[in-house]
Amino acid sequence: MSARPMRNPLLQALAQIGGCGLFLLTLLAAIPRSFKHFRETVRQLWFVGAMSLVIIMVCGLFVGLVLALQLYYVLQIFGGTAASGMVVALAIYRELGPVVTALLFAGRAGTSITAEIGLMRATDQIAAMEMMAVDPVAYVGTPRFLAGLIAMPLLCCVFCAMGILGGHLVGVTWLGIDNGTFWSNMTAAVNLHTDIVNGILLKSLAFGAAVSLIAVYQGFTTPPTSEGVAYATTRTVVASSIAILALDFVLTAFLM
Amino acid sequence: MSQRPSYAVGTGLFILLGFAALVYLATQTTSVANVHRGASYTVTTHFADVGQLKERSPVKVAGVRVGQVQSIALDPASAQADVVLAIDKNFNKIPDDSVVTIFTSGLLGDQYIGIDYGSSKKVVGDGGTLALSRSSQPLEAMLGKFLGSGGAADNLGGTYAVSARFTNVGSLSAGAPVKMAGVAIGSVQSVEADPVKLDAKVTLAIDKRYNHIPNDSSAAVFTSGLIGGQYVAIQPGGSPDNLKNDDELILTQSAMQLEDLIGKFLVNGSSSGDKSGSASGTPSPTPPTGKK
Repeated sequence: MSARPMRNPLLQALAQIGGCGLFLLTLLAAIPRSFKHFRETVRQLWFVGAMSLVIIMVCGLFVGLVLALQLYYVLQIFGGTAASGMVVALAIYRELGPVVTALLFAGRAGTSITAEIGLMRATDQIAAMEMMAVDPVAYVGTPRFLAGLIAMPLLCCVFCAMGILGGHLVGVTWLGIDNGTFWSNMTAAVNLHTDIVNGILLKSLAFGAAVSLIAVYQGFTTPPTSEGVAYATTRTVVASSIAILALDFVLTAFLM
Repeated sequence: MSQRPSYAVGTGLFILLGFAALVYLATQTTSVANVHRGASYTVTTHFADVGQLKERSPVKVAGVRVGQVQSIALDPASAQADVVLAIDKNFNKIPDDSVVTIFTSGLLGDQYIGIDYGSSKKVVGDGGTLALSRSSQPLEAMLGKFLGSGGAADNLGGTYAVSARFTNVGSLSAGAPVKMAGVAIGSVQSVEADPVKLDAKVTLAIDKRYNHIPNDSSAAVFTSGLIGGQYVAIQPGGSPDNLKNDDELILTQSAMQLEDLIGKFLVNGSSSGDKSGSASGTPSPTPPTGKK
């Protein structure tokens, strides 16, 4: 799968994107075959999802805390601190929740997927699987891809809930915004369809697909050396971050 | 395979937690929410206009929260808003002639309900009604009162028309008040450009009660306040003859444009050199800041 070294960086980037797209088709085509390895998917879900919970929850809490704090000081100027709850919720649901969760997910789970698959390649485990007539894409690739796809929206929900909790903690408990005002403004402004379904679920699903695809692809195309694994891991983070932010803009433009 | 149950259970827990978070977000932070909890009793009030009042908005007595708005519904028969307040059981001594008012906290703040205690000995109970209510004041109405030119005259006894020509009427429009000594005596009937004389012809409808206005009175277009509406002010002259229907006011003073005023102010200091400011009778508090 590794190509001959190309000098032109533009061509290189194009080849990366093209290879990634083709690889996505391979992954999707392997979904029916990966049902045999359902247990592997569950194990990956545990690894990329459940094991990421702590970092997601802590980060969500702090994002909510700092957002409410910043908003309070700005809105105080206009006497509009009552709107804090609403702005915290909208900012987290529409942007911060999916994006920060995806960035954290890329750093926490994406890198380890790339490194794991890359090392499998470097130590010829992938080749061994092929020798044993086990499809490496169906056994290694697709379960990780599916796990990322499932885990991202769930993690994003947890992130958002923790963010709201953090905002409530600072806004109501600490700074003394009225509890009812906090919630009533929020419930009046947050729309189930645009904010929860479009904002959280669709966006994080797209981000989950992008991050897992990049991570698995980078793993499978790792040059089989220790330097190559390091390089691929770095590229996973860089490419994922760019993909997330670019995708976020496109999705926002289309969904809002 | 001995390891399997641990991660399977953990994964199940993770998925459950994720869905629990989703359910929490969907039900508690969206419009799906609005379920009240805690020991309280309900009181109904009616408002002609609830403005931006929302469910779960606070209910306050003397600025202290005693409950929240439970529901807002329109009574189709009377076109009034029925507002149900859920008030904490601890505050059960609210007189039944208390006045319920919708307040706004700050200029941009949220609206809440304030209860001013009445003097009745009877307290309002669960399911009771507080009949005395003051609706929310739309910002436009308040601003209108504050900045508006006091409204036009009531024109009870019919009007007579007087015209006046201005080189510039600013943003004067039909319906603007006509004032004498600051009191509205009529309204502007029409504002139109004269195609020949190239100025603005303003027709004023003045109440017939005010038929002793000297016919050499002057008309001026003034602005009430910095951003207020414009009106026509009549300054009485000294002629023994009075204005009659279809007369024309010869002496007029056009609207001052803000740009002109600022221009005058700026040019005043820099152009007239040594005798700046004080000569024209308008003291300039600040020295000219520089050439334009």
